[in-house]
Amino acid sequence: MRKPIPKKELFLLLIAAAITVVAIGAVYVREGVPEWKYYQQEFRFILAENFGDIDATSISYGIQQIWVDELDRVDRCITCHQGITWPGLEDMEQPWATHPDLELFADHPLEEYGCTICHGGQGYALTAHEAHGFITHWEEPLLSSIIGSEYDARDPVPMHEIQCNYCHRYERSTPGLDFINRGKNLLHQKGCKVCHIVNEDGGILGPDLSHEGDKHPEGYDFSNLVSEQLTVFNWHIKHFKSPETIVPGTIMPDMNFQTRDAIALSMLVMSWKENADLPRAYLPGVKLFDEMTAEELERERKMRDGDGAFFFEHSCFICHSVEAFDIESPTNKGPDLSWAPDDVRTRFNKTVEEFLFDPTGTMKIILDSQIPLTDEEKWEAVDKINKAYDIVRNRSNQDQISSSE
Amino acid sequence: MSLLPKSSFLDRLTWPWKPESSREAGSAVVSSFLLHWFSHRTSLRSLSFKSSMYLGTIALNLFIILTVTGVILMFFYVPSVERAYWSIKDIDFAISFGWLLRRLHRVTAHLMVAVVFVHMFRVFLTGAYKAGDMVRSARHWNWVMGVGMLVLTLLLSFTGYLLPWDQLAYWAITVGTNIAAAVPMIGEQIRQFLLGGTEIGQPTLIRFYVLHVFFLPVILFALCAWHMWRIRKDGGLAVIDQVRRDAANRPAAIPKKSKTYSILGIAKGTSIAVSDPTTLNDDNSVPSSPFLTVRILLVSLTTLAVSIILAIVFQAPLEAAANPEVTPNPAKAPWYFLGLQELVGYSALMGGVLIPGIAVLGLAMIPFVDREQKGLGLWFTDSKGRTFGMLGFAVGIIITAFCVTLSLLFPTRELFSGIESQFFFDFVNPATLLLVLFAVLFFVVAKITKSKRYASIATFCAFIVGFLLLTYIGTALRGPNWDFYWPWQAWPHHPITY
Repeated sequence: MRKPIPKKELFLLLIAAAITVVAIGAVYVREGVPEWKYYQQEFRFILAENFGDIDATSISYGIQQIWVDELDRVDRCITCHQGITWPGLEDMEQPWATHPDLELFADHPLEEYGCTICHGGQGYALTAHEAHGFITHWEEPLLSSIIGSEYDARDPVPMHEIQCNYCHRYERSTPGLDFINRGKNLLHQKGCKVCHIVNEDGGILGPDLSHEGDKHPEGYDFSNLVSEQLTVFNWHIKHFKSPETIVPGTIMPDMNFQTRDAIALSMLVMSWKENADLPRAYLPGVKLFDEMTAEELERERKMRDGDGAFFFEHSCFICHSVEAFDIESPTNKGPDLSWAPDDVRTRFNKTVEEFLFDPTGTMKIILDSQIPLTDEEKWEAVDKINKAYDIVRNRSNQDQISSSE
Repeated sequence: MSLLPKSSFLDRLTWPWKPESSREAGSAVVSSFLLHWFSHRTSLRSLSFKSSMYLGTIALNLFIILTVTGVILMFFYVPSVERAYWSIKDIDFAISFGWLLRRLHRVTAHLMVAVVFVHMFRVFLTGAYKAGDMVRSARHWNWVMGVGMLVLTLLLSFTGYLLPWDQLAYWAITVGTNIAAAVPMIGEQIRQFLLGGTEIGQPTLIRFYVLHVFFLPVILFALCAWHMWRIRKDGGLAVIDQVRRDAANRPAAIPKKSKTYSILGIAKGTSIAVSDPTTLNDDNSVPSSPFLTVRILLVSLTTLAVSIILAIVFQAPLEAAANPEVTPNPAKAPWYFLGLQELVGYSALMGGVLIPGIAVLGLAMIPFVDREQKGLGLWFTDSKGRTFGMLGFAVGIIITAFCVTLSLLFPTRELFSGIESQFFFDFVNPATLLLVLFAVLFFVVAKITKSKRYASIATFCAFIVGFLLLTYIGTALRGPNWDFYWPWQAWPHHPITY
């Protein structure tokens, strides 16, 4: 008869089998009790407590999702956030609370928008941590007060407005978007578009900002940002407050923005994302360029058609005002050109003509690379500047005469 | 109990797995399909963990787990650039047990690459690629086939790497295929052949997918069967040669008296009494069923349990969706290529083409260089071999560390700053030095010992530690811009969006 199998061998086999069974058991436990089941269970209790008899069959069970084909999004948020559309649960804690603004659903039906298009986050995921997207490899985290308070702990920045403006970017002003509206006002007030293309329209002295919100962190130079928060958003805030500090040698003017203004502008800039795939239905009643007020249009028309048209056409007005021709620079980075003959004489000991043909400093860079002028154009510039000089000198003489009288 | 007939249906199905006599055990391997690849008896030396560590069995088990999980994953995965990434998200989050399937598939894939390497190390160190001089076998060809299977395993893993279509996948394949472009003359053509275009896109994805789920596994499976069949044809594990030697040294048993037949024209005399003592007997062997089957069950269960536990513990990473515009820094190839990527840092041609080419060719040629037929199945052949093995480990660490240090402290381009020729730097760099020093090690030991076996052992051991060290450096010590970071040095912080 054959020898028996050694006891030790059978013992090891038993252990291996036991470990396998335990491991498979662990798999079943992990699969069988996901986070969302707990939330759904709790939600039933909450409903029973708040509303008494509720037909249990009316509450969905299992993984819930909103699939919006037009937006190419799958949002499973409502698997846990089941109370979103139930009025009366406003005071509940998350994830069971009612949406804070139920009226919003009238214009933005849940089944046509889903959640992440407005809130950010990872719609595919089914655990709070991954769904809220605060993980290394998800680039659109939930834009809630959690992130907002990182930029202002006492009064969290309403970061979700960034997502709103993904669709509302072409509106001059949108009800409820305080920060974005503030940013849009500054955009026009400070004349950002004379240098930057925004919404397919603007100047080319600075980079095109139409899709700035899509730019990856790798695309920014963080070497001059001294901060614990190495984020693109923080980069923009610090850059708005002091462009020269973040990008040494930049020609972008320092506009002396206060923190809140810088945040508003950063939010605006971050909201400008590629939306070519977005169906027009999601941009209702919005013209595909942003509107200017009648006043702004009139001012621009005057500058374009007036005697100072030369300075408008050749972008000089971006940095220089020309008082004599009613040209008003949005930045006023350089001196008023009406007084150039005096100014150039005192600063460079040159005539305007000499300076234009042999410039130094910033003007050398600008005239070499940004605004190349032909010789004829330079003569025209000299001519115009001299005319402007005469005008303002006459004015000031008359002022002196009238004041002395 | 008699051999046949069996009473119940269940008995008829299961008797080969629980034979009650040596004779039944013998019949079992003949009549059961699942047992037919075992021999009737297995020597105790072959059975012991020490001889083989069951690495081939483990590798096959992993391959089976990979096939099963892979086929199920095929029901959910969509090989298109638009859907691939999101179908992986669905597998991870929404599909029942999807997370387990993907994690198991990934963890066993990495394990299989590692185990196949270690299996090769074991086969070399026990001299199991030798034909033997008592009974000439074709084990050397089985070794060559094994090297082919190693390459196939790497290709399988590499093609699978692209499928999730995330940043990790996209850039690992970019790095990997750019290395192929370093081949002289036809490099760019090879790269485009691999990619199915000039850059990674839908043609690459479908190409890698078809290779990954059909061609490579089918070929590897066929080779597995052939590899196993060859082992049987060659008489089993190499250590059987030692059992044969023992048997040959035993005094011949007195031939049993039996009827005499004359086999005219075949054997002289009137008896065919065998004077050769039977190699396997009751003292030095056991029936394969159930001794070997139980052992294989044990190994398989352990493999499965370890794989599942690792799958529960380690998440399968999925980075951001593939983005050709944004290069992660550092961009790294899969871990088993990181040793090569380290060498590619010195020279793409030397580190990416010549050295791996020479390594694969050198591995395949080992049985034809080392033809000394001694110590089959014994670790390091003998105590002298062990000494040279240890020497090889030590020398391997020293010369690899030396070459890496050299590259860090004295980059060749700075050392010879006057020279512009790429050709010069392709041949004068630390990677070449490494290759030359390995060759020197081989010839020095061969000269001292007058034995190519000892020279091979020393060089192979140096190769093992060199490979491990370079892989470690490439994986753990290379940070952004491929800069060197000690384990205690933090990498620069990566900026994020919010």
